[in-house]
Amino acid sequence: MTAAAPTRRSAHGHSVGPGVTFAHVVASEWIKLRSLRSTAWCFAVIVVIVVGFGALFASVASGFEGMEATAEQQQALGVQVITIGVAFAQLVAAVLGALVITGEYGTGMIRSTFTAVPRRTPALVAKVLIVGVSTFVVSGLALVVAALVCTPLLSSSTGIELDLGDTGLWWSLVGAAASVAMIAMISFGLGAVIRNGAGGIAASIGLVFVLPIIFTIGMAVISEPWIYTLYEFTPPQAATRVFEYQVEGSSMLTPPTVDDAVVLTPWQALGVLAGWVVALFVVAVAAVKRRDV
Amino acid sequence: MIEARHLTKRYGQKVALDDVSFTVRPGIVTGFLGPNGAGKSTTMRMVVGLDRPSSGSVTVNGRPYAEHRAPLREVGVLLDAKAVHRGRSASEHLHAMAATHGIGRSRVAEVIALTGLEPVAKKRVGGFSLGMGQRLGIAAALLGDPATLIFDEPVNGLDPEGVVWVRTLARHLAAEGRTVFLSSHLMSEMAQTADHLIVLGRGRVLADAPVSEVIAQASGDGVRVRSPHLPQLVELVRAEHGVEPVTADDGSLELPGVTAARVGELAASRGIVLHELTPVVRSLEEAYMSLTQDSVEYHAGGAAAATPASPAAAEKAATTPGASR
Repeated sequence: MTAAAPTRRSAHGHSVGPGVTFAHVVASEWIKLRSLRSTAWCFAVIVVIVVGFGALFASVASGFEGMEATAEQQQALGVQVITIGVAFAQLVAAVLGALVITGEYGTGMIRSTFTAVPRRTPALVAKVLIVGVSTFVVSGLALVVAALVCTPLLSSSTGIELDLGDTGLWWSLVGAAASVAMIAMISFGLGAVIRNGAGGIAASIGLVFVLPIIFTIGMAVISEPWIYTLYEFTPPQAATRVFEYQVEGSSMLTPPTVDDAVVLTPWQALGVLAGWVVALFVVAVAAVKRRDV
Repeated sequence: MIEARHLTKRYGQKVALDDVSFTVRPGIVTGFLGPNGAGKSTTMRMVVGLDRPSSGSVTVNGRPYAEHRAPLREVGVLLDAKAVHRGRSASEHLHAMAATHGIGRSRVAEVIALTGLEPVAKKRVGGFSLGMGQRLGIAAALLGDPATLIFDEPVNGLDPEGVVWVRTLARHLAAEGRTVFLSSHLMSEMAQTADHLIVLGRGRVLADAPVSEVIAQASGDGVRVRSPHLPQLVELVRAEHGVEPVTADDGSLELPGVTAARVGELAASRGIVLHELTPVVRSLEEAYMSLTQDSVEYHAGGAAAATPASPAAAEKAATTPGASR
């Protein structure tokens, strides 16, 4: 081992290159995300779940023969079959979103991250964007594959012929992919506040999976419009409303609601989810900027 | 150049750093010494903005670290614990760090070669030995070719070859005109590496001076003498300085806290023959021990938690602030 010296000298650190820019930080976070096995695993599981569950459900679906479903209702049913795995994909995305930040705290990597980007906020923004965009792309691709796989399966099992030229169907799938991405981003915010890996994942799963159970019990007991309305504004419920295929009147398989309760349209639901993402992210930034690392 | 001004850090009731001020200058290696819990790592994390001082401030190359446009090009830092995700390879880690500053792939390859990481660059960091982890940390610190380098316990976990490598690297970086700030608990290592020492004990600066001065300040220089008229000489010195000589095994005598020049003058004034007159330089180890003995955070038995059973320890703990400096 010889003690060679650095070969370049930056005249005592003065201006070699532009330094930290947001584009550079995004590039760094992209390298970080794709260089971890946990990312590949989470994305692989999302694809398998979305395509697998959709295919399975499409091939065993039956009992619609006697129903006089309109073309629109058939499209709605098709969307529900294609997106049957989305709730589970959201769960995996919740774990991924939390892992991306708690993994850095758990290993000490966060100190390297914040040494390179001492203002901290750009690193957090880049992280949440990378997580959101990559999750959106992966689950979107999985849904496209699911649509292509489900269409012939659904045709042979139920006789329903899905119209893949229908933009409404594709908007629903875009909404479904967005819901998965936004759940990941919400979890990222929770993870950044909690920092501990197990705690962050538990909180995210609690939000996505446990909260609906609690509300279901609550609605069974109370059954007042306000509790249904309140539930509409929680992340898991808003995340299902985002990709509901809009049918004149009511959709066939929408979750139960009561009169006078608010039901969000997909765009409203997207707004609610975005609100959750932003709110939790703001809390996360405030906490991270204030704390020692 | 690192300038710390009145850094104080409190964790609840506990004061980790108490009004710490110092300047780390370019062109030399500055050692940062102190017992465990003295606040070395906290101070180093503050320099790069990871920890926030309760009061006081610290600047690097003239401004707070976070206000530099390209901080990695100003300061390279190796923190004590592994600050790397265990699931990533060394080369991926360095690429991710480099990307934040738009530092190219060629520079990443350079620091990998420089730190001898080539054989393991593609391996995941989770399987690294402590020594490999240290090399990776040093590689990351060197990425931006910074004018200031901060290494927290850089030789921790390195084999002897690695220790020599870090020592030579540190000296080389300083010789290039860079600011090099190293912490270590290995006093002997510091004696061979550092030009200047900042000694920290219980969150306070106990000494901030060139290595030779720290040693002198801590123990006082001594003189070893050999003479056929030793008793007379001892009387003279005792009369003037009130010091007690220490007899060495070989028959010579050590007179602490006296300069060779003064002993020579005293001997000459009475016509005393001297066979040997040697200035005794304390080792850094000894100097360090005497500087920090009152400020060790966790004595065996616990001086800080002084019980009525050990009034001496309680008194020692109580007088520590006065003793520092």
